[in-house]
Amino acid sequence: MRFFDSHVHMVSRTTDDYQRMAAAGVTAIVEPSFWQGQPRTEVGTFKDYFNSLIGFERFRASQFGIKHYCTIGLNPKEANNEKLAEAVMELLPLYICKEGVVGIGEIGFDDQTKAEEKYLRWQAQLALEADLPIQIHTPHRDKKAGTIRTMDVLEDLGVDPGKVIIDHNNEETVKAVLDRGYWAAFTIYPHTKLGNQRMVEVMMEYGAERIVVDSAADWGISDPLAVPKTAALMKDRGITLEQIEQVTYFNPLAAYGQSGQVSEEDWAGSAGIDPTALFEGNTLLRGGMDVETAMSQYLIE
Amino acid sequence: MRDLLSTILAATAPASAMTWLSDTIRDQETSFQKRPFYYAFSGVSRHFDKRGSVEVTDEQSQALDGQVPGFSVKGWDQFRLARVILLLTLGKQDKATFLETIAALLNTADLREQAAIYSAFPLLPHQADLVEAAVDGLRSNIIDIFDSLALQNPFPATHFSKEEWNQMVLKAIFISRPIYKIFGIESRSNADLADGVSYLAHERWAAGRKLTPEAWRNCAAHVSDGIVADLEHLLSEGDPIDHEAAALVIVRDGSDRVRHLQERIEAGLDAISGGSLTWERLGEKLEFPATLNGSPAQA
Repeated sequence: MRFFDSHVHMVSRTTDDYQRMAAAGVTAIVEPSFWQGQPRTEVGTFKDYFNSLIGFERFRASQFGIKHYCTIGLNPKEANNEKLAEAVMELLPLYICKEGVVGIGEIGFDDQTKAEEKYLRWQAQLALEADLPIQIHTPHRDKKAGTIRTMDVLEDLGVDPGKVIIDHNNEETVKAVLDRGYWAAFTIYPHTKLGNQRMVEVMMEYGAERIVVDSAADWGISDPLAVPKTAALMKDRGITLEQIEQVTYFNPLAAYGQSGQVSEEDWAGSAGIDPTALFEGNTLLRGGMDVETAMSQYLIE
Repeated sequence: MRDLLSTILAATAPASAMTWLSDTIRDQETSFQKRPFYYAFSGVSRHFDKRGSVEVTDEQSQALDGQVPGFSVKGWDQFRLARVILLLTLGKQDKATFLETIAALLNTADLREQAAIYSAFPLLPHQADLVEAAVDGLRSNIIDIFDSLALQNPFPATHFSKEEWNQMVLKAIFISRPIYKIFGIESRSNADLADGVSYLAHERWAAGRKLTPEAWRNCAAHVSDGIVADLEHLLSEGDPIDHEAAALVIVRDGSDRVRHLQERIEAGLDAISGGSLTWERLGEKLEFPATLNGSPAQA
């Protein structure tokens, strides 16, 4: 079995993570542009960051047999530094048409300020011009209102909801997002976001259509194996294999595939692995004991 | 040059992509503008086949080599060739615009774009102003980028200082690149480089590791007493392919210093005089990894 983790910040992760992800069947990933924990003070550091997303990180992933794509954008947190934000907006057109750039992202609201809305609108226009999908970050505080407001802004500009992946959903936001025709992504992230048991409950209620599971693993305490672990839990809880494949592989592929920059042919010939085989006492995983141990504790809370 | 490159590209590329390329070139030559040029340079990936390779006939290869000795498009993909053709258009702009645009492209280029830019260097004007960028590009630990400058590219042999040349060749040896594909490898060899190879060999041998036999090609015209000792080591400790490399060095040198080694390379002598053993043949027998094993930081 193979997985497409459509939200993971690999610049913050080690080669051990890459090895374990490859061993657990993660075949393709999308790395969204985001803030790096420490606010940036110069536009040049944005340029170098974007360069690493289309350059060295792509190369690093390839060494582990993982296909690396990215979304390019100005994140909402740093949109509040307006002087810097203007300069970053000047940079974006240099990147958005590049090979393997599968969307504008992650953009949206954080504190839901006026500046954040300004740059959300500006970047949504850029996505319309370049005919690219949009990857939306929803705020951690006042999430439901922020999510609704994001959709209102996008619809005001005439963006097609079918080309937008709204991320970091929870039980409170999922219905509105699906009802309005968007892709609903769920981030399985320990402690602060969604645990995978809650994810299973969401699938029991809403099925698999237009639902995407990702890890958003980054520089915090997070789990780059969140997608395969959640797949294992889903199988354990009786969700059909077809539905598991939809939310962990086919849906993100279809959503970001609208960019024309990612297709299954990109990784044709690479061998998929069935992580669920592990739970029948099998030892198919290539990563040895380390990955087996990691995958055997597949609950994320 | 551009017509020939376009003919080569058209043999495998989609007709719609070739139309887009010639329209873009026409527009840019009528009125050059940086931003549309950036979009076009990146946008090659939206028009050409990303897995599509370039097919070149022997006749075309010879014609390219005739125009720019050492230049070759063998093994290129469509993206690279299309981008090189676009860069020829950029080369028609005034010097300041040309250099600014090249720098901006390099500053924001992805891997395949960087490889295309460096591959185009031997075809572009103002080459003396590009040397610093080429030296910097060779600091990359990414194989495709290193290869785009070091292999099948006459730019380094034409423009690099001795120190820059030696640095490139030693790194190519260090990261196991095919040395026979470096243009000018014999004409630019020098005694300092030969010493560098010998020193690297001693380090590898001390660690119980091997050195690519192609490395000794750099020593063939600079056989010192130290190199003679290295040849003795190769003949007593090395693999058959190390013996072949030693034989090639000994025959090239042909002096009294190596006469005592002649009897140990008889098979090699026959192969060399019969034409079946050359540095090219030796290089072709070796396998080269597409990417480095383990961490790229090792380079």
